[in-house]
Amino acid sequence: MNNFEYVRATAIPDALRAVADQAGSRFLAGGTTMVDLMKCGVEVPSALIDITRLPGLDTIEAGPASVRIGALSRMSDVADHPTIRKEFPVLSESLWRGASAQLRNMATIGGNLMQRTRCSYFREPGVYSACNKRNPGSGCAALEGVNRGHAVLGTSPSCIATNPGDFAVALVAFDAAVYVENGKPRRIPIDDFFTLPGDTPDVEHPLSPGELIVAVEIPTSPALRRSHYLKVRDRESYEFAVASAAVGLELEADGRTIRDVRVALGGIATRPWRARTVEAALVGRTFDEPTVRAASRLATEGAVDHGEDRFKIDLAPRVVARALLTVGGTS
Amino acid sequence: MSTTSSESLKSNGAFLGRRIARADGVAKVTGRADYALEHDLADIVHAVIVESIVPSGRIGKIDLAAAQTIPGVLRILTHADALPLKSCPMVPAGSVMESFLPLQDDRIRYNGQPIALVVADSFDHAIEAAGGVRVDYQAEPAVADIDDPTARPIDVPGAPSSGMGRGDAKGALAAAAVRMEATYTTPREYSCPMEPLGTIAAWGTDGDLTVWMPSQWAEGARRAFSEWFAIPMEKVRVISPFVGGGFGVKVTAHADALLAAMAAREMRRPVKLALSRPQNFTGNGLRPAIRQNLTLGASEDGKLQVIIHENTSETSVDDDYVEGGAATARVMYAVPNLSSSQKLVRVNSFTPSWKRAPGEAIGAYALESAMDELAYKLKLDPIELRLRNYASQDPESAKPWSTRRLREAYDAGARAFGWERRSPEPRSMRDGHELIGWGMAGGAFPNVHTPGEARVTIAADGSVDVASSGADIGGGTYTILAQTAADALGVPFEQVRVRLGDTSLPRAPVAGVSQIANLLTGAVDKTARAAREELLTLASSHAGSPFKAKRANDFTIKDGKIAPTDGSAEAVMISEFMRMVGRDRIEVTRNTMPADKASSESEQRDAYDSFKYMGPSSATHATYAWCAQFVEVRVDEDYGTVRVRRMVGAFDCGRLYNPKLAESQWKGGMIMGMGEALLEAIHIDRRYARITNNNLAEYVVPVNADVPDIEVISVGEPDFHASALGGKTVGEIGVVGAAAAIANAVFHATGKRVRDLPITMEKLM
Amino acid sequence: MAKSAIADAGIRLCINGSEHLLQIEPRVTLLDALREYAHLFGTKKGCDQGQCGACTVHVDGRRVLACLTLASQVEGLAITTIEGLAVNGSLHAVQEAFIRHDAFQCGYCTSGQIMSAVACINEGRTGSDTSIREYMSGNLCRCGAYPHIVAAVRDAAQAMDLGEGRGR
Repeated sequence: MNNFEYVRATAIPDALRAVADQAGSRFLAGGTTMVDLMKCGVEVPSALIDITRLPGLDTIEAGPASVRIGALSRMSDVADHPTIRKEFPVLSESLWRGASAQLRNMATIGGNLMQRTRCSYFREPGVYSACNKRNPGSGCAALEGVNRGHAVLGTSPSCIATNPGDFAVALVAFDAAVYVENGKPRRIPIDDFFTLPGDTPDVEHPLSPGELIVAVEIPTSPALRRSHYLKVRDRESYEFAVASAAVGLELEADGRTIRDVRVALGGIATRPWRARTVEAALVGRTFDEPTVRAASRLATEGAVDHGEDRFKIDLAPRVVARALLTVGGTS
Repeated sequence: MSTTSSESLKSNGAFLGRRIARADGVAKVTGRADYALEHDLADIVHAVIVESIVPSGRIGKIDLAAAQTIPGVLRILTHADALPLKSCPMVPAGSVMESFLPLQDDRIRYNGQPIALVVADSFDHAIEAAGGVRVDYQAEPAVADIDDPTARPIDVPGAPSSGMGRGDAKGALAAAAVRMEATYTTPREYSCPMEPLGTIAAWGTDGDLTVWMPSQWAEGARRAFSEWFAIPMEKVRVISPFVGGGFGVKVTAHADALLAAMAAREMRRPVKLALSRPQNFTGNGLRPAIRQNLTLGASEDGKLQVIIHENTSETSVDDDYVEGGAATARVMYAVPNLSSSQKLVRVNSFTPSWKRAPGEAIGAYALESAMDELAYKLKLDPIELRLRNYASQDPESAKPWSTRRLREAYDAGARAFGWERRSPEPRSMRDGHELIGWGMAGGAFPNVHTPGEARVTIAADGSVDVASSGADIGGGTYTILAQTAADALGVPFEQVRVRLGDTSLPRAPVAGVSQIANLLTGAVDKTARAAREELLTLASSHAGSPFKAKRANDFTIKDGKIAPTDGSAEAVMISEFMRMVGRDRIEVTRNTMPADKASSESEQRDAYDSFKYMGPSSATHATYAWCAQFVEVRVDEDYGTVRVRRMVGAFDCGRLYNPKLAESQWKGGMIMGMGEALLEAIHIDRRYARITNNNLAEYVVPVNADVPDIEVISVGEPDFHASALGGKTVGEIGVVGAAAAIANAVFHATGKRVRDLPITMEKLM
Repeated sequence: MAKSAIADAGIRLCINGSEHLLQIEPRVTLLDALREYAHLFGTKKGCDQGQCGACTVHVDGRRVLACLTLASQVEGLAITTIEGLAVNGSLHAVQEAFIRHDAFQCGYCTSGQIMSAVACINEGRTGSDTSIREYMSGNLCRCGAYPHIVAAVRDAAQAMDLGEGRGR
């Protein structure tokens, strides 16, 4: 990797100033994405502003109305937080099923939201010149390439790269918000935080230069308390999802009628993918397997495959259905 | 080389055969085992390879200007430097598996080919500069893989195009009542040892070359350097005491080792060259993609009449690497008619090489899958079909088996697994969303033998030093050689120190084909017995000896003490005895060359630095290790994901020198087989003829959570046709049959026969 | 050609209780700092991209990957490597269990496996074999020692529970 200036920030204003002061500088948290992509030659920052020792950004508050997680909380600390484990299972599960124990001890929640695609063509800039995400206008090598791992939802002719997140899928399902700061604080609803590639796949988030994620907040709900993250992959652990689903369920007092249901998909879309059509098809209906299976099929409505990734169009609805059946207690 | 003295048998029961913990265990758990790149040399510089990003064509212009401005860059070598190299003969006559020599011309043969070498004062500077080298290519069309529309199968140059066989395969097939024909395909796979390739090379002022590299065959690498740089063998020393996994890729030296030595000579400084993990994929260690057509013909009652095996495998543009799969079919069953043929497809790849059980792993996958298919066709239990075709002698050579306890392996494995509770119908066992499948398969691995040398030194303090250039790639050579010497000499295990993997030590052939344990225990046993003889000759004849007995065989040595067998005198510690007879050491070197060749230096060289002396371990008997493997899989009916829930392997590997270590190797092989069955495949982007999943996140190998408890059972008994001390081959048999057992279990679970590995979810959905 | 630019003052790393002053650039990872600058080769480089676990070390008692950690980031924090596990020449319970159960073959992933195992036990993940398998899955082993690694971790966890941890 190229060399850079290393600055250890000890207060948020210092960190913001340091990034503002030097063009091409980037924040460095756990490093599991940044250092990796620097080794690949994808990220070439002129300076890294190490924010890992900023005080006060690693708190986890699991209150009655919301769960607020400081951006520097490590994935492992959130996954193992007793209240989160017990009360809001999807948040814990989507974290501990990601990466490995070592990586989860390093990676922060803020960094987790900023992780970038695993597209092979994106990750080898020295080999593949065509990548609109790295180099706008250069084309997309994955479209006609090896694309089993690529997205079938939210794609564009410019980019079919999959968002690799797990936790973000849970955040999208449960209407989280991202808090950022650059002098003045800003709240970004999670739905707005991940942008579709369109014809600007290089833009992945609505963050302005120098904006720092300080927290994510997830409103609690009965569905969050009855939630689950299901991750399907080739091997049992330490692998990105081929397809995953974050779901939550709330039944009416009759114990059968669906009052609230949340469904989001991972591994198959260019961003963590909320499946609102599935939700809409289920609310008010009786929870049973045929209903769930039928509604789940809507999850990949409108999906576009690129050859090797075609199976995901069938796979993802089954993952959604099974996740729902698990929280519904019928699986 | 297959006979043994009755004395060898007597060593039974002391240290050999016991479950002794690894002699190198403490070094490995404390981080003190010194692997190749872990040597500090003064003045060392770092080299990084620049690879081609096109698969075929010519190098146009290489622009080094930007790279040379990077701080710390010392030198950038390209083909324009025209540093001359000589070629080294390929195996079996020589000691390399690819003819490619880097930086010799402007021709591009594969995507990933080394085309420049950056040398800098630090690893980071070399990496950065390598990224700054600009290359113009004149690209030409490439053949990406075996399925490329432009790929053309050719006969193996120099081999009979009609193939090999016995009987009348065509006629037998026409007459067969039941026929089964299928094509089985396996993808490119990688050895992927956890230690990447890398080399430190240093030239001395007198033109001698020292190389630290991970090697399964230090003597072979030594020969390669000697040939490449046209310097005498004596000028080359290859040091490789610890090898962080080999599985075939470290059998021969590759371009990285050559480039490190080339750069070190140019720089007149030691050079460290570490291949990145992606470079380990784009440059070395490939099992080619293979297509096997199998046709079985049988009678109604399940007697095999014929096997026809047609194999097509990839090789490189330059070399004729053949990975055939018919060897298992030739010996596994009593089938009178057999034909096998082999085609090659030239692709723009580096030359493939061995991956654990080359030929046997993929061959057993196809054959044992086909047998399973035939069993269903005949409505026979898969074991019953195998028993009806049990070969009581080698059907290929008509020689008797040395030992073949395959029937016992079927029995023991089936019993441990509970096979009799299997319901034969596919899709007949389930647990919730999971379909349960039970499958089995057998396997064979040939027992080969090459001579080896050993030196045994008894020091003044009674300690024993055993030395050989042979490798311990994790199989346990350090441990079993200490056990062997301890038994032969009558000293405690802890008193023996073993040194390995250094060409300054007595010579050994390749740690491959799972031969090293048998050949080196034989060599060490022979040498240690000679040392014992010398010690006891002193006891019976030296003036300083306290003993009265006058014949060497009137003595015993036990627990490191010498005593007359008749009890006429007190036992004396070896150290004390050495003092009494005024000796500071007894040093003996022996080899296990056939007696008529033992004194010829050139014959010895052939034995150790080529494959010329590698051959069957017996002239009179067919010697193989055998296995039967049993697997339970769970297949999620929604996702098609396969998880292995149980594995049982029963093995006939003859006598086990150390069951603890043998079991580890068996299990490891079975797990690698699990990877081959379910996970491992190289993905080629045909437009670039390049490997896209050149890393350990995307070239998916099993993790801990994939692996259930595995039960392994030894059904072997000592086989002195196989080796001097009665062992048969252990290291690779575990992988043989594992993939077929899993694939058969998947069929049993789902009713779907997947004939294309790996069995990933989309193939079952 | 230009001289290399080394960070002015160097950085201080506290490795296994000893302070090391290293003259390294900001881009040097903890893994390269350990191996190439502090000459501690016990920590292994298997992939250098966070995909194998061979470089697992502890930072302030937590297991992390040294290959994706910049050395500068851990200045002043307590770094423990495989070389720091045995105390006064006496093997850690996990090291002993690995030998006893033959939980390695080639040995190259072993340092990382052991550092991971110690953390896995301290994290309380050893309640079941399934849990051990999952929480040891960040460490690849190509020799396939996994079943023996699970046995060793289970065994060492019990030994440490019984207060037979360090120094037996």
